Amino acid sequence: MQPHLKRVIILLVIALIAFIFIRSLIVPDSFGQYGWYRGESVIDNRNLQVGYAGSSSCGEENCHKTIYSIWVGSRHKAVNCEICHGPSNDHVNNVRIMPEPANESREYCGLCHFERAARPANFPQIDPETHGENLRCAYCHNPHKPWFV
Amino acid sequence: MKISRREFAKTGFRVIIGAAVSSTIIESIVTNSIAAEVSPGGGYDWKEHLWGYVVDTRKCIGCGRCANACKLENHVPFDEPVYRTWVERYRVLKDGEVKIDSPNGSINGFEDDIPAEEIKKAFYVPKICNHCEIAPCVQVCPVGATYETEDGVVLVDYDYCIGCRYCIQGCPYGARYFNTEKRTADKCTWCYHRITKGLLPACVQACPVGARIFGDLKDPESEVNKILDKERINVLKPDLGTKPKVYYVGLDREVR
Repeated sequence: MQPHLKRVIILLVIALIAFIFIRSLIVPDSFGQYGWYRGESVIDNRNLQVGYAGSSSCGEENCHKTIYSIWVGSRHKAVNCEICHGPSNDHVNNVRIMPEPANESREYCGLCHFERAARPANFPQIDPETHGENLRCAYCHNPHKPWFV
Repeated sequence: MKISRREFAKTGFRVIIGAAVSSTIIESIVTNSIAAEVSPGGGYDWKEHLWGYVVDTRKCIGCGRCANACKLENHVPFDEPVYRTWVERYRVLKDGEVKIDSPNGSINGFEDDIPAEEIKKAFYVPKICNHCEIAPCVQVCPVGATYETEDGVVLVDYDYCIGCRYCIQGCPYGARYFNTEKRTADKCTWCYHRITKGLLPACVQACPVGARIFGDLKDPESEVNKILDKERINVLKPDLGTKPKVYYVGLDREVR
Protein backbone atom coordinates (compact mmCIF):
# COMPACT_ATOMS: atom_id res chain seq x y z
CA MET A 1 0.00 0.00 0.00
CA GLN A 2 1.20 3.49 -0.76
CA PRO A 3 2.44 5.35 2.35
CA HIS A 4 0.15 8.37 1.99
CA LEU A 5 -2.90 6.07 1.91
CA LYS A 6 -1.62 4.27 5.00
CA ARG A 7 -1.33 7.57 6.87
CA VAL A 8 -4.88 8.55 5.99
CA ILE A 9 -6.23 5.20 7.15
CA ILE A 10 -4.31 5.38 10.45
CA LEU A 11 -5.63 8.92 11.01
CA LEU A 12 -9.19 7.78 10.30
CA VAL A 13 -8.92 4.85 12.72
CA ILE A 14 -7.55 7.12 15.47
CA ALA A 15 -10.37 9.63 14.87
CA LEU A 16 -12.96 6.83 15.05
CA ILE A 17 -11.58 5.45 18.30
CA ALA A 18 -11.45 8.96 19.78
CA PHE A 19 -15.07 9.55 18.73
CA ILE A 20 -16.31 6.33 20.33
CA PHE A 21 -14.32 7.01 23.49
CA ILE A 22 -15.48 10.62 23.94
CA ARG A 23 -19.07 9.68 23.12
CA SER A 24 -19.09 6.94 25.74
CA LEU A 25 -17.95 9.53 28.30
CA ILE A 26 -20.53 12.16 27.38
CA VAL A 27 -23.70 10.13 26.76
CA PRO A 28 -25.43 9.06 30.01
CA ASP A 29 -25.62 5.32 30.67
CA SER A 30 -29.38 5.08 30.54
CA PHE A 31 -29.73 7.02 27.31
CA GLY A 32 -31.53 4.81 24.79
CA GLN A 33 -32.78 2.39 27.43
CA TYR A 34 -36.41 2.84 26.35
CA GLY A 35 -36.08 5.27 23.44
CA TRP A 36 -34.17 8.34 22.41
CA TYR A 37 -34.00 9.77 25.93
CA ARG A 38 -32.42 9.16 29.32
CA GLY A 39 -34.21 6.21 30.94
CA GLU A 40 -33.26 7.45 34.42
CA SER A 41 -35.33 10.55 33.81
CA VAL A 42 -38.56 8.52 34.08
CA ILE A 43 -37.55 7.51 37.61
CA ASP A 44 -36.60 11.12 38.42
CA ASN A 45 -40.05 12.29 37.36
CA ARG A 46 -41.75 9.55 39.35
CA ASN A 47 -39.84 10.34 42.51
CA LEU A 48 -40.97 13.98 42.78
CA GLN A 49 -42.61 14.92 46.08
CA VAL A 50 -46.39 14.60 46.48
CA GLY A 51 -48.01 17.73 47.95
CA TYR A 52 -51.73 16.91 48.07
CA ALA A 53 -52.53 13.87 50.21
CA GLY A 54 -56.23 13.58 49.29
CA SER A 55 -59.30 13.85 51.52
CA SER A 56 -59.40 10.17 52.44
CA SER A 57 -56.11 10.50 54.33
CA CYS A 58 -57.77 13.12 56.57
CA GLY A 59 -60.61 10.82 57.61
CA GLU A 60 -59.23 7.30 57.31
CA GLU A 61 -57.20 7.40 60.49
CA ASN A 62 -58.93 8.64 63.62
CA CYS A 63 -57.62 12.17 63.17
CA HIS A 64 -60.46 14.22 61.69
CA LYS A 65 -63.14 11.53 61.56
CA THR A 66 -66.05 13.62 62.89
CA ILE A 67 -65.66 16.53 60.52
CA TYR A 68 -64.88 14.09 57.70
CA SER A 69 -68.12 12.16 58.23
CA ILE A 70 -70.11 15.41 58.24
CA TRP A 71 -68.40 16.66 55.08
CA VAL A 72 -68.65 13.38 53.19
CA GLY A 73 -72.45 13.45 53.41
CA SER A 74 -72.77 17.13 52.53
CA ARG A 75 -73.32 18.97 49.27
CA HIS A 76 -69.68 20.02 49.48
CA LYS A 77 -68.44 16.44 49.27
CA ALA A 78 -66.82 17.14 45.88
CA VAL A 79 -64.86 20.02 47.40
CA ASN A 80 -61.84 18.19 48.79
CA CYS A 81 -60.35 19.21 52.15
CA GLU A 82 -57.15 20.55 50.62
CA ILE A 83 -58.94 22.98 48.28
CA CYS A 84 -59.53 25.26 51.29
CA HIS A 85 -56.98 23.91 53.77
CA GLY A 86 -54.03 23.75 51.36
CA PRO A 87 -51.69 20.91 50.40
CA SER A 88 -51.21 18.75 53.49
CA ASN A 89 -49.12 15.70 52.63
CA ASP A 90 -46.36 16.91 54.95
CA HIS A 91 -48.95 17.26 57.71
CA VAL A 92 -50.19 13.69 57.11
CA ASN A 93 -46.65 12.38 57.44
CA ASN A 94 -45.81 14.56 60.43
CA VAL A 95 -48.63 16.13 62.44
CA ARG A 96 -46.31 18.80 63.79
CA ILE A 97 -46.10 20.39 60.35
CA MET A 98 -49.32 22.38 60.05
CA PRO A 99 -50.80 23.28 56.68
CA GLU A 100 -51.68 26.89 55.85
CA PRO A 101 -54.85 28.02 57.70
CA ALA A 102 -57.99 27.77 55.57
CA ASN A 103 -58.93 30.84 53.59
CA GLU A 104 -62.22 31.96 55.14
CA SER A 105 -62.66 35.20 53.23
CA ARG A 106 -65.82 36.08 51.35
CA GLU A 107 -63.80 36.32 48.15
CA TYR A 108 -62.56 32.77 48.50
CA CYS A 109 -66.10 31.37 48.67
CA GLY A 110 -66.90 33.75 45.83
CA LEU A 111 -64.40 32.06 43.55
CA CYS A 112 -67.11 29.45 43.13
CA HIS A 113 -70.30 31.15 44.31
CA PHE A 114 -70.29 34.79 43.14
CA GLU A 115 -72.61 35.30 40.21
CA ARG A 116 -70.68 35.17 36.93
CA ALA A 117 -72.03 35.25 33.38
CA ALA A 118 -69.87 32.34 32.20
CA ARG A 119 -70.95 29.95 34.98
CA PRO A 120 -73.46 27.18 34.29
CA ALA A 121 -76.84 28.68 35.26
CA ASN A 122 -77.82 25.77 37.53
CA PHE A 123 -74.73 26.22 39.75
CA PRO A 124 -75.57 27.89 43.10
CA GLN A 125 -74.47 31.53 42.84
CA ILE A 126 -75.18 34.69 44.83
CA ASP A 127 -75.01 38.36 43.94
CA PRO A 128 -72.28 39.66 46.27
CA GLU A 129 -73.78 43.19 46.14
CA THR A 130 -77.16 42.21 47.57
CA HIS A 131 -76.49 38.96 49.46
CA GLY A 132 -75.04 38.64 52.93
CA GLU A 133 -74.29 42.28 53.79
CA ASN A 134 -70.55 41.72 53.34
CA LEU A 135 -70.44 39.22 56.20
CA ARG A 136 -68.13 36.25 56.11
CA CYS A 137 -70.04 33.43 54.40
CA ALA A 138 -69.29 31.05 57.29
CA TYR A 139 -71.26 33.41 59.57
CA CYS A 140 -74.44 31.81 58.19
CA HIS A 141 -73.26 28.84 56.13
CA ASN A 142 -71.25 25.93 57.45
CA PRO A 143 -68.59 25.28 54.79
CA HIS A 144 -68.38 21.63 55.85
CA LYS A 145 -72.12 21.14 55.48
CA PRO A 146 -73.63 24.03 53.55
CA TRP A 147 -77.36 24.69 53.74
CA PHE A 148 -79.72 27.00 51.96
CA VAL A 149 -81.98 29.55 53.66
CA MET B 1 -4.26 1.29 -14.36
CA LYS B 2 -5.91 -1.89 -15.54
CA ILE B 3 -7.94 -4.19 -13.28
CA SER B 4 -9.23 -7.61 -14.24
CA ARG B 5 -12.88 -8.42 -13.62
CA ARG B 6 -11.91 -10.87 -10.86
CA GLU B 7 -9.71 -8.24 -9.12
CA PHE B 8 -12.49 -5.68 -9.27
CA ALA B 9 -15.04 -8.05 -7.76
CA LYS B 10 -12.62 -9.08 -5.00
CA THR B 11 -11.86 -5.53 -3.83
CA GLY B 12 -15.49 -4.55 -4.24
CA PHE B 13 -16.71 -7.31 -1.94
CA ARG B 14 -13.98 -6.56 0.60
CA VAL B 15 -15.01 -2.91 0.76
CA ILE B 16 -18.70 -3.77 1.14
CA ILE B 17 -18.14 -6.42 3.82
CA GLY B 18 -15.66 -4.20 5.67
CA ALA B 19 -18.08 -1.28 5.70
CA ALA B 20 -20.97 -3.45 6.90
CA VAL B 21 -18.97 -5.10 9.69
CA SER B 22 -17.37 -1.90 10.96
CA SER B 23 -20.68 0.00 10.99
CA THR B 24 -22.38 -2.75 13.03
CA ILE B 25 -19.46 -2.78 15.45
CA ILE B 26 -19.64 1.01 15.86
CA GLU B 27 -23.42 0.86 16.20
CA SER B 28 -23.27 -1.78 18.93
CA ILE B 29 -20.69 0.20 20.84
CA VAL B 30 -22.50 3.51 20.47
CA THR B 31 -26.10 2.54 21.25
CA ASN B 32 -27.23 0.71 24.35
CA SER B 33 -29.17 -2.47 23.87
CA ILE B 34 -32.74 -1.20 23.62
CA ALA B 35 -35.64 -2.66 25.59
CA ALA B 36 -33.70 -5.25 27.54
CA GLU B 37 -35.73 -4.08 30.50
CA VAL B 38 -39.34 -3.30 29.59
CA SER B 39 -40.44 -1.09 32.48
CA PRO B 40 -38.67 1.14 35.00
CA GLY B 41 -40.11 -1.12 37.69
CA GLY B 42 -40.97 -0.17 41.25
CA GLY B 43 -44.36 -1.89 41.46
CA TYR B 44 -45.74 -0.03 38.49
CA ASP B 45 -45.79 -1.46 34.96
CA TRP B 46 -46.15 1.29 32.39
CA LYS B 47 -47.12 -1.22 29.69
CA GLU B 48 -50.40 -1.83 31.51
CA HIS B 49 -51.60 1.78 31.28
CA LEU B 50 -52.35 4.44 28.73
CA TRP B 51 -53.49 7.58 30.48
CA GLY B 52 -56.19 9.86 29.13
CA TYR B 53 -57.95 13.03 30.26
CA VAL B 54 -61.45 14.34 29.71
CA VAL B 55 -62.53 17.97 30.18
CA ASP B 56 -66.26 18.62 30.46
CA THR B 57 -66.48 22.33 29.62
CA ARG B 58 -70.20 22.37 30.43
CA LYS B 59 -69.45 21.83 34.12
CA CYS B 60 -66.52 24.24 34.62
CA ILE B 61 -67.33 27.17 36.94
CA GLY B 62 -64.00 28.98 36.46
CA CYS B 63 -62.98 28.90 40.11
CA GLY B 64 -59.35 28.29 39.16
CA ARG B 65 -58.69 25.80 41.98
CA CYS B 66 -57.11 23.46 39.41
CA ALA B 67 -54.54 26.02 38.31
CA ASN B 68 -53.84 26.90 41.94
CA ALA B 69 -53.41 23.28 43.03
CA CYS B 70 -51.18 22.57 40.05
CA LYS B 71 -48.82 25.39 40.91
CA LEU B 72 -48.56 24.29 44.54
CA GLU B 73 -48.16 20.58 43.77
CA ASN B 74 -45.54 21.05 41.08
CA HIS B 75 -43.72 24.10 42.46
CA VAL B 76 -44.43 26.20 39.39
CA PRO B 77 -43.11 29.75 40.08
CA PHE B 78 -46.24 31.13 41.77
CA ASP B 79 -45.89 34.80 40.99
CA GLU B 80 -44.81 34.39 37.39
CA PRO B 81 -47.35 34.27 34.56
CA VAL B 82 -46.54 30.66 33.68
CA TYR B 83 -49.02 27.79 34.05
CA ARG B 84 -49.14 24.06 33.48
CA THR B 85 -52.90 24.28 33.43
CA TRP B 86 -55.20 27.28 33.28
CA VAL B 87 -58.82 28.19 32.59
CA GLU B 88 -59.84 30.42 29.69
CA ARG B 89 -63.04 32.45 29.59
CA TYR B 90 -64.80 32.80 26.25
CA ARG B 91 -67.42 35.50 25.87
CA VAL B 92 -69.30 35.86 22.59
CA LEU B 93 -70.80 39.35 22.53
CA LYS B 94 -74.09 40.25 20.87
CA ASP B 95 -72.20 42.20 18.18
CA GLY B 96 -70.36 38.98 17.24
CA GLU B 97 -67.04 39.80 18.85
CA VAL B 98 -65.35 36.99 20.80
CA LYS B 99 -63.46 37.96 23.96
CA ILE B 100 -61.00 35.41 25.33
CA ASP B 101 -59.10 35.97 28.57
CA SER B 102 -57.46 34.15 31.43
CA PRO B 103 -56.31 36.66 34.09
CA ASN B 104 -53.49 35.05 36.10
CA GLY B 105 -54.45 31.71 34.59
CA SER B 106 -57.77 31.89 36.54
CA ILE B 107 -56.04 31.49 39.92
CA ASN B 108 -57.74 34.62 41.33
CA GLY B 109 -61.04 33.84 39.63
CA PHE B 110 -62.82 36.01 37.08
CA GLU B 111 -64.49 39.41 37.38
CA ASP B 112 -67.49 40.27 35.23
CA ASP B 113 -66.15 43.37 33.43
CA ILE B 114 -68.68 43.27 30.59
CA PRO B 115 -72.37 43.88 31.39
CA ALA B 116 -74.49 40.74 31.08
CA GLU B 117 -76.81 42.46 28.57
CA GLU B 118 -74.01 42.66 26.01
CA ILE B 119 -73.08 38.98 26.25
CA LYS B 120 -74.69 36.44 23.95
CA LYS B 121 -73.02 33.43 25.52
CA ALA B 122 -70.13 32.80 27.87
CA PHE B 123 -68.32 29.75 29.14
CA TYR B 124 -65.04 28.54 30.61
CA VAL B 125 -62.56 26.19 28.94
CA PRO B 126 -59.86 24.52 31.05
CA LYS B 127 -56.59 24.04 29.18
CA ILE B 128 -53.74 21.66 29.86
CA CYS B 129 -50.99 19.83 27.97
CA ASN B 130 -52.68 17.45 25.52
CA HIS B 131 -49.97 14.77 25.82
CA CYS B 132 -50.14 14.29 22.06
CA GLU B 133 -49.52 10.87 20.59
CA ILE B 134 -47.56 12.62 17.84
CA ALA B 135 -46.06 15.41 19.91
CA PRO B 136 -44.42 18.31 18.04
CA CYS B 137 -42.45 19.26 21.16
CA VAL B 138 -40.80 15.84 21.32
CA GLN B 139 -39.94 15.93 17.64
CA VAL B 140 -38.17 19.30 17.83
CA CYS B 141 -36.04 18.67 20.94
CA PRO B 142 -32.44 18.63 19.72
CA VAL B 143 -31.02 16.65 22.66
CA GLY B 144 -33.69 14.09 23.52
CA ALA B 145 -34.63 15.83 26.75
CA THR B 146 -38.38 15.40 26.22
CA TYR B 147 -40.12 12.18 25.38
CA GLU B 148 -43.34 10.21 25.52
CA THR B 149 -43.44 7.39 28.05
CA GLU B 150 -44.96 3.98 27.30
CA ASP B 151 -48.04 4.95 29.32
CA GLY B 152 -48.62 7.99 27.13
CA VAL B 153 -47.27 10.91 29.16
CA VAL B 154 -44.96 13.54 27.66
CA LEU B 155 -42.22 14.34 30.17
CA VAL B 156 -39.17 16.58 30.41
CA ASP B 157 -35.71 15.43 31.50
CA TYR B 158 -34.75 18.37 33.72
CA ASP B 159 -31.12 17.27 34.01
CA TYR B 160 -30.65 16.94 30.27
CA CYS B 161 -32.63 19.92 28.94
CA ILE B 162 -30.37 22.67 27.64
CA GLY B 163 -33.10 25.32 27.80
CA CYS B 164 -33.15 26.20 24.10
CA ARG B 165 -36.94 26.78 24.24
CA TYR B 166 -37.52 25.19 20.84
CA CYS B 167 -40.22 22.91 22.29
CA ILE B 168 -42.02 25.94 23.74
CA GLN B 169 -42.16 27.37 20.22
CA GLY B 170 -43.15 24.00 18.79
CA CYS B 171 -46.19 23.36 20.99
CA PRO B 172 -49.32 24.43 19.09
CA TYR B 173 -51.31 24.57 22.34
CA GLY B 174 -49.02 26.92 24.28
CA ALA B 175 -48.80 24.34 27.04
CA ARG B 176 -45.06 24.66 27.71
CA TYR B 177 -43.22 27.40 29.55
CA PHE B 178 -39.67 28.26 30.57
CA ASN B 179 -38.99 27.61 34.22
CA THR B 180 -36.67 30.38 35.37
CA GLU B 181 -35.79 28.50 38.57
CA LYS B 182 -34.78 25.25 36.91
CA ARG B 183 -33.48 27.02 33.77
CA THR B 184 -35.21 24.38 31.65
CA ALA B 185 -38.39 23.99 29.65
CA ASP B 186 -41.26 22.76 31.80
CA LYS B 187 -44.75 21.43 31.32
CA CYS B 188 -47.65 19.44 32.72
CA THR B 189 -46.72 15.86 33.58
CA TRP B 190 -50.27 14.81 34.46
CA CYS B 191 -48.61 14.65 37.89
CA TYR B 192 -46.57 11.61 36.85
CA HIS B 193 -45.28 11.29 40.43
CA ARG B 194 -48.91 10.93 41.60
CA ILE B 195 -50.52 8.78 38.90
CA THR B 196 -47.75 6.17 39.12
CA LYS B 197 -48.62 5.88 42.84
CA GLY B 198 -52.34 5.44 42.14
CA LEU B 199 -53.27 9.05 43.00
CA LEU B 200 -55.12 11.48 40.75
CA PRO B 201 -53.42 14.52 39.18
CA ALA B 202 -53.64 17.53 41.51
CA CYS B 203 -55.92 19.49 39.14
CA VAL B 204 -58.40 16.60 38.85
CA GLN B 205 -58.49 16.19 42.63
CA ALA B 206 -58.97 19.94 43.09
CA CYS B 207 -61.90 20.32 40.69
CA PRO B 208 -65.06 20.77 42.81
CA VAL B 209 -67.51 20.10 39.96
CA GLY B 210 -65.98 17.12 38.19
CA ALA B 211 -65.14 19.02 35.03
CA ARG B 212 -61.78 17.26 34.85
CA ILE B 213 -61.71 13.49 34.62
CA PHE B 214 -58.58 11.36 34.49
CA GLY B 215 -58.18 7.65 33.84
CA ASP B 216 -56.74 4.71 32.02
CA LEU B 217 -57.64 4.33 28.34
CA LYS B 218 -56.56 0.68 28.49
CA ASP B 219 -59.15 -0.08 31.18
CA PRO B 220 -62.60 -0.43 29.53
CA GLU B 221 -64.27 0.26 32.91
CA SER B 222 -62.42 3.52 33.60
CA GLU B 223 -64.44 6.70 33.97
CA VAL B 224 -62.62 8.23 31.01
CA ASN B 225 -63.61 5.37 28.71
CA LYS B 226 -67.21 5.49 29.91
CA ILE B 227 -67.41 9.13 28.85
CA LEU B 228 -65.63 8.54 25.54
CA ASP B 229 -68.10 5.75 24.76
CA LYS B 230 -71.16 7.81 25.60
CA GLU B 231 -70.56 11.51 24.97
CA ARG B 232 -69.86 13.51 21.83
CA ILE B 233 -66.23 14.43 22.17
CA ASN B 234 -63.65 16.48 20.34
CA VAL B 235 -60.01 17.45 20.72
CA LEU B 236 -58.30 20.82 20.28
CA LYS B 237 -56.94 21.55 16.80
CA PRO B 238 -57.66 18.07 15.38
CA ASP B 239 -56.52 19.29 11.93
CA LEU B 240 -52.89 19.39 13.14
CA GLY B 241 -52.79 15.60 13.41
CA THR B 242 -51.10 15.66 16.82
CA LYS B 243 -53.60 13.12 18.21
CA PRO B 244 -54.18 14.72 21.63
CA LYS B 245 -55.16 12.58 24.61
CA VAL B 246 -57.15 15.36 26.28
CA TYR B 247 -60.75 14.98 25.11
CA TYR B 248 -63.31 17.76 25.41
CA VAL B 249 -67.05 17.48 25.97
CA GLY B 250 -69.14 20.46 24.91
CA LEU B 251 -66.43 22.21 22.93
CA ASP B 252 -67.61 25.38 21.18
CA ARG B 253 -66.51 26.21 17.65
CA GLU B 254 -64.89 29.41 18.94
CA VAL B 255 -62.42 27.50 21.10
CA ARG B 256 -58.92 27.42 19.70
